[in-house]
Amino acid sequence: MEIAYFLGCIMNNRYPGIEKATRILFDKLNIELNDMAGASCCPAPGVFGSFDKKTWASIAARNITIAEDMDSDIMTECNGCFGSLFETNLMLKEDEELKNEINQVLAEAGREFKGTVNVRHFAEILYNEVGLDKLAELVDNPLNLNVAVHYGCHFLKPTEEIQIDNAEKPTILDEIVETTGAKSVPYKDKMLCCGAGGGLRSRDIDVTLSFTKEKLDNMTNAGVDAIINVCPFCHLQFDVGQTEVNKKYNTNFGIPVFHLAQLLGLAIGLGSNELTLDSHLINTDPALAKLVAEADKASGE
Amino acid sequence: MSVLERLKAFLTGAKNDVSENKSDKEVLNQKKPEKTDDGLKSKQTSSKDTITEEKTDSPIAKTSESEETRVEEAVEETSESSNIDEKELEEDDNDKKDEKDNMTLLDEENGKLTLDSVDPDFTQIFIDAGIDTVEHCFQCGTCTGGCPSGRRTPYRIRQIVRKCLMGLKDEVISDPALWLCTTCYTCQERCPREIKIVEIVKMARNIAAENGFMAPAHKATGSFVIKTGHGVPINDATMELRKRVGLDELPPTTHSYPEALEEVQKICEATGFNGLIGFNKETGELE
Repeated sequence: MEIAYFLGCIMNNRYPGIEKATRILFDKLNIELNDMAGASCCPAPGVFGSFDKKTWASIAARNITIAEDMDSDIMTECNGCFGSLFETNLMLKEDEELKNEINQVLAEAGREFKGTVNVRHFAEILYNEVGLDKLAELVDNPLNLNVAVHYGCHFLKPTEEIQIDNAEKPTILDEIVETTGAKSVPYKDKMLCCGAGGGLRSRDIDVTLSFTKEKLDNMTNAGVDAIINVCPFCHLQFDVGQTEVNKKYNTNFGIPVFHLAQLLGLAIGLGSNELTLDSHLINTDPALAKLVAEADKASGE
Repeated sequence: MSVLERLKAFLTGAKNDVSENKSDKEVLNQKKPEKTDDGLKSKQTSSKDTITEEKTDSPIAKTSESEETRVEEAVEETSESSNIDEKELEEDDNDKKDEKDNMTLLDEENGKLTLDSVDPDFTQIFIDAGIDTVEHCFQCGTCTGGCPSGRRTPYRIRQIVRKCLMGLKDEVISDPALWLCTTCYTCQERCPREIKIVEIVKMARNIAAENGFMAPAHKATGSFVIKTGHGVPINDATMELRKRVGLDELPPTTHSYPEALEEVQKICEATGFNGLIGFNKETGELE
């Protein structure tokens, strides 16, 4: 299997360990990731979509045309990128008039949207193409962690269009996470947004942090060792945002944050160096120390 | 249960309801005098002219604040000023009077919606954009009930949908609360009328942006994409990290392909995005 690998912004420009883990993981899974040369920002659905729909759809459509030239479906590991590319792709495939309007814009850049590829999310490919059994086979050392799975918003919603899983009570990520041996712990308001989206983080950080704090409170009450996400923007919000919450509310949160690719990276034996865990603002050592202690315990028995 | 018994139960039930209603009224009646003791009576005699002046000083209150917020604020005002009242009892009589003059919620001059407030073209924009489901709303409030932003801010999505349908353009686009939605889709997922609520919000924001209601921080994000192709461009620290883990220092995106960046720039120019955010092509910066 081959797929066009859409990077986006935050993963490759802030947390490259996510990208590195994915490249190694997919190599092991025999799925070829082909770079989309010259791709740009998706651009963010709630941000650019809020400024000017035409610009948003045009830039997203341009990204899709790169994959069309490669004759390949697109994979992204960011909910925001997934939202923008999936929605635009669907909209332009279904609405001839809009497609023509956007193609007029794209002609300025020497491109044309044809509607020949699909847009897919990393986690959905792992679940539907790779399968849980094959993922479980790759796990070297089971990760004995209690984790809070955070789905984010644009991975599953709007369900009417995306149809990956039930948006109120999904299981897809929990099932993937549990192939590593980690336990997905239920927590209050699990489907609550991290607070960063829709341009809110840059517009009104206090409101954003209020969301994030509520999530961190609920996760803490559930007694988790780590937060698992499938969106670099949520990832950033839980990592950088957690330090901002601590500053604003005088709290002492310190829940390590892992993108699903990083968790799977740990499960297949990658080190924290390759996963660039040392660049996270929230220290991941407590989770890693627990892993080591549990592994020692298991081998001692 | 026999018909007779049921009828009996029904009648006694009805009787109970009546007595409950009575007791409710009693409670209400008990509450009223308390408020009057608080000095509500004298507040009602406030001079109307003063209020009108006060109100015209703050047109924002008229255009941008939602009904619910206004009520909430009014409640706060009441409790705040009754505290102040207590303190001011010892102070000048005139000050006390001024304070009370602001207390009535009766406003016959301002805040009233008339046909002048309605812009049918505004509603038509949503319908033309394919969001005709805006017309399906029966104002049940499921959206606001599930909204995580509304829990902590004055953002009231039910009202926004209503105002968009009514064509209250100025109220919608000038309200800063319009930008408090994270586009999490909870409202849209739960809407029993399957209204594309997030599309309504985004379209309302498009119109707001077009009319100059765009935050400087958002313009900056827009300018990053024009300048680099990325909303979050690379930095030195990440370049170092990429190199360390064996990735190319620059990702294979617009960061590595200047001609690709030019394509993005041509798109932004063609759609008028440069003008929208005030990006000056010559200086390469926001105006």
